[in-house]
Amino acid sequence: MSMAVTGSPASAAGLLRLRRHPGALAGLGLLALVLLPALAAPLLPLPDPTLTAPAGRMQPALSAGHLLGTDHLGRDLLSRLLWGARASIAVGALATLIAALVGGLLGLAAAWLGRLLDGVVMRGVDVLMAFPYLLLALAIVAALGPGLGNAMLAIAVANVPFFARAMRGAALDIRHQDYIAAARLAGHGEPAILAREVLPNLAPTLLLLMTTTLGWMVLETAGLSFLGLGAQPPAADLGSMLGEGREFLTTYPRVAVLPGLLILLLVVGINLLGDGLRDLLDPRWSPPRPAAPAQVSPSRAADSRAPQTHEHDPTPPLLTVRDLGVDVSGPEGPLPAVAGVDFHLRPGERVALVGESGCGKTLTALALLRLLPAGVSQRGDVRLRGRTLMGLSAAVLRDLRGRRIAYVPQEPLTALDPLFRVGAQLREARRAHGEEAAYTTQALVRMVGLEQVPGLLRRFPHELSGGQRQRVAIALALAHGPDLLIADEATTALDVTVQREILQLLRRLCDEQGRALLFVSHDLALVAALCERVLVMYAGRIVEDAPLSALLRRPAHPYTAALLGATPELGRPDKALAVLTGEPPAPGAQLTGCRFAHRCPRVQRVCRGDEPALTDHGDGRRVRCLFPLEDPA
Amino acid sequence: MGGYVVRRLLLLLPVLLGVSLVVFAVMALVPGDPALAILGPYATPERLAELRAELALDQPWWRRWLDWLAGVLKGDMGRSVSLERPVADAVLERLGPTLLLAAAALVLGAVLGLAAGLLAALRHNRTTDRLVTLSVLLGISLPPFWLGLLLILLFAVWLGWLPASGMITPWLRDPGAALLTADVLRHLLLPSLSLALVAASVIGRIGRGAALEVLAADHIRLCRARGLTERRILLVHALKGVLARVMPVIGLQAGFVLGGAVYIETIFQWPGLGRLLVDAIAARDLLLVQGGVLVLATAYVLVNLATDLAQHALDRRTAAA
Repeated sequence: MSMAVTGSPASAAGLLRLRRHPGALAGLGLLALVLLPALAAPLLPLPDPTLTAPAGRMQPALSAGHLLGTDHLGRDLLSRLLWGARASIAVGALATLIAALVGGLLGLAAAWLGRLLDGVVMRGVDVLMAFPYLLLALAIVAALGPGLGNAMLAIAVANVPFFARAMRGAALDIRHQDYIAAARLAGHGEPAILAREVLPNLAPTLLLLMTTTLGWMVLETAGLSFLGLGAQPPAADLGSMLGEGREFLTTYPRVAVLPGLLILLLVVGINLLGDGLRDLLDPRWSPPRPAAPAQVSPSRAADSRAPQTHEHDPTPPLLTVRDLGVDVSGPEGPLPAVAGVDFHLRPGERVALVGESGCGKTLTALALLRLLPAGVSQRGDVRLRGRTLMGLSAAVLRDLRGRRIAYVPQEPLTALDPLFRVGAQLREARRAHGEEAAYTTQALVRMVGLEQVPGLLRRFPHELSGGQRQRVAIALALAHGPDLLIADEATTALDVTVQREILQLLRRLCDEQGRALLFVSHDLALVAALCERVLVMYAGRIVEDAPLSALLRRPAHPYTAALLGATPELGRPDKALAVLTGEPPAPGAQLTGCRFAHRCPRVQRVCRGDEPALTDHGDGRRVRCLFPLEDPA
Repeated sequence: MGGYVVRRLLLLLPVLLGVSLVVFAVMALVPGDPALAILGPYATPERLAELRAELALDQPWWRRWLDWLAGVLKGDMGRSVSLERPVADAVLERLGPTLLLAAAALVLGAVLGLAAGLLAALRHNRTTDRLVTLSVLLGISLPPFWLGLLLILLFAVWLGWLPASGMITPWLRDPGAALLTADVLRHLLLPSLSLALVAASVIGRIGRGAALEVLAADHIRLCRARGLTERRILLVHALKGVLARVMPVIGLQAGFVLGGAVYIETIFQWPGLGRLLVDAIAARDLLLVQGGVLVLATAYVLVNLATDLAQHALDRRTAAA
């Protein structure tokens, strides 16, 4: 086993981390507790475990010379337990070793020596795995005859298919790696490649499989012994002790209970160690930290101030967002991913939220629904028709979602439950808020233009195209005729022609039904075809809020200008696309001043002082910049 | 759906053929003269000669396998030496109680395991989750035969609530259907629990992982965005998703339950096939072992077929292997 460990640097490093894994440590401790006395049994001052004493049978624990008492033949129980544990461990480990060697070689041969052999081995594995493994072992013992060696052999053979299948999979994975092809190109022969590249990389997998199966093997060999098919008296392992003790269960329970307890401790220890090894060999695992409690909204959320409206606003806003912030919990405490987001939406208005990926658009959209995932919390205030959503009960929020505010997600593939038919999901969405859905299923299907799809309602999501799935997702969102539709990159995953169709559909559905739309996108060209007003987001801040035409004609924030400069225009192939250099700051970055400063072509010294506020520039435009382009005032 | 069922049924044939071949081949491992091994050292020379002719030992192995298979298909598995009756009769008589025990254990194990897995995932990283994880670890490390003994000690010996052995109380006279059912259920509870707790641990472990995955899925969040109740999201969408993922594991646990029946039937004196097998092995009654293993393995193959079909019914994206 030590060879297997040192074979791969990755696994060696993994093993070094063992001491940081509490489960694995507990497993090692338990194993030591059982293994050390068992290994030391010949050295300890214990009576001969086979020495019978008819006069001293069933002595209680702590009697003279017998720490745990004696059994039905007067043999010392402690001595028998320790010698029995030795036998059980040895047999279990030997069975594991045989199964791993034979199965591993078979799997390797199947993966490496051509399709014919692979076919034969794998069909054999399939058939053997069609047996309940214990029955297979039982049949083998029946043929070979009872005895500890035969039982061990039977358990080993019954587990060979498992190892063969797993190792074949692992070997096939390695076979298709680039470094194998590289070794071949370098002129190394197959034996050299196997010895130098394949075996060291297979070793950790095999070691892991052995550790995780050792527990079963100990249990199974003990089981065969329990049935009287393994160790034959006077030799004993823990299983046969349990089997003999069964007769005295009601009178002297300890004779049967103790060997079982020892098996349990042993196997728990092995399994804990195995789970730990699996974690440690998994590169994604990291030592456990005190878990950060997942919270949805801290208390300072609800802001009592009356929602501010623009002075020249004709209609009261449908949605008001004030000082919205979103914090993502990281290893060193919460990171502000979104901060100071202020905006409002009037009824029927179509507004875009635009920015690079990772700027906090989706977090903002989800925060409006109060649907942030665990570990992400939100601050500030969100009001729908003047009523705050902060501090509302789950039941009230549920009633608003889907009925007043609806959400269309980015990825149509994962938006629908793959296990339910389209019809069932539409019906369910319509019934989500009592029986008063705004539209019938048929009306919804027509509304999103799917009435031509034959048997639509009987289909499963995977039987639809991406565009069709997105139409279904829109239909689900519209079931109750919501006042506000949030479309989160709703066209990004679709190809261009389908994008255009979905865009037209969204526009029509908002126009005809007087519905407000918040269209989250990274693509200004799409936004231009759909929205009236644009919110530009950068690094978790809104940097510009302007009517579409004004924004396109005369961007005020340098970042907006950069975004526009990077958008290709149809019919102007000669337009040189300006590419913005650099990266947006990471959410946790300690920055003073404007967050765009390090990428900005117009940056001045004061920009790195205090962060500029989102200030009104008249004309319904707000900009977060000290030196906006072509000041419209 | 139809195409999948047909493909899956066609796949059954080679697997069952292979199973019969393995059962036949294992018996060829018997050292020495098979006729002597079957009849034992006290057999008369005439009977030995007769059996050798019956086993057609002069024929090639594939011929003997096919002959044996043809016999099995006609319901003839040879004659049990220890019971002095046809193997098929003895096996079929004991099959019912084993299937009852295994089915009860599997259903109980699946329900307990799924509930524990879902609960742990809902309370991820909290006390409930840790308790479930710990119980699951203990459950998969438990020797089922020891668990059975502990249950007898607790519920039959100390508390005296439930019977410790058998399937029917022997002195019941003409109990009527209702009373008989209640009596069998009382006898069934401890043995099925001994198997179910171990099966539930494996199912719970996989179920917890599956539930964590499903609960984090986009479509679950979108159910919330649509305003569905948490109860409906959990019991309809999450449960179906978890069930579809766990179904193959439930099928595998059928193998544990059918094999583990050997221990549990021995401990609880349950009149099933497992105990028959142990007795047959002790008596070196090889034809009886062969017949019993074949029937139990076939039952396992059929249960796996059923769980595969159930998984396909839950999730139509799964294709035939």
